[in-house]
Amino acid sequence: MTPMIDVVFQLLIYFLVTFSTADVLAHLDVSRPTPDAAASNQPPPADMIRVAVAPEGYAINGRDVTEDELAGLLERLAAVSLKQTVLVTCADASLHGRLITALDLCAANGLTKISVMSGK
Amino acid sequence: MKRNFQKKESGGVNMTPMIDVVFQMIIFFVCTAQLEKEMFSEFIRLADSPNAPEMAGEKDPRTITIEVDADGRTTIGGTRLTAPKLKNLLVKVVADYGVHGPSIPILIRADAAARHARVKTVMDVCAGAGLYKIAFVAVKDAAEGRVGRTSESRRSNVE
Repeated sequence: MTPMIDVVFQLLIYFLVTFSTADVLAHLDVSRPTPDAAASNQPPPADMIRVAVAPEGYAINGRDVTEDELAGLLERLAAVSLKQTVLVTCADASLHGRLITALDLCAANGLTKISVMSGK
Repeated sequence: MKRNFQKKESGGVNMTPMIDVVFQMIIFFVCTAQLEKEMFSEFIRLADSPNAPEMAGEKDPRTITIEVDADGRTTIGGTRLTAPKLKNLLVKVVADYGVHGPSIPILIRADAAARHARVKTVMDVCAGAGLYKIAFVAVKDAAEGRVGRTSESRRSNVE
């Protein structure tokens, strides 16, 4: 029996070492206006939360804010109503991770109607 | 004694072929189980999003996962696609599904370090093909020993 037990232990050790748990993934649903609609440049309705993602920093309703301030403001705005649409405008040069950060803050506050547009 | 036949050292039932076969089967199942998961690029480091809803276990079988890596390359299932090719492909898929075409869910697996311009191209192509169910994939809970790219800054700011 000894050789077999040796081999089984080797296999056991191999599987223990190579075992890795998979990441738990999340999905952030967004709606994307069609390119034609975005090009027609109509002003957004006033009751929307407008979040801009710049390569450095964020802006909410036209005011430059840091990530902490954005979190605080979104929390306060979300307390008013969760049915508001959030219009996230992301600059081309900013990293995708920063857009995800902004979307995550919206998700944290229960805002689910999110529309992503791209600015220059 | 009845149990005598089990105690015999020599001339007992030879277990070796059975163990060989069982090991072969174990190896076969381990290998085939791995193959199913190899569809997505492991070089893409997704952004962290601890507050987003968890990905449902049973997803729509029509789901198309589009990957954008840190250098902005767009791939589906390991095949590199340029924007016009991606557009042709998606338009064709939408046409094939007929009425149910535009409701095909799109998952965008983009690297946290990818430029938004590349992701924007993918989103515009999807929107142009009439697809409206677009979602980004992010890491809700990273596996032990691995930390996402943006998690360091997040933890200090949010929690």
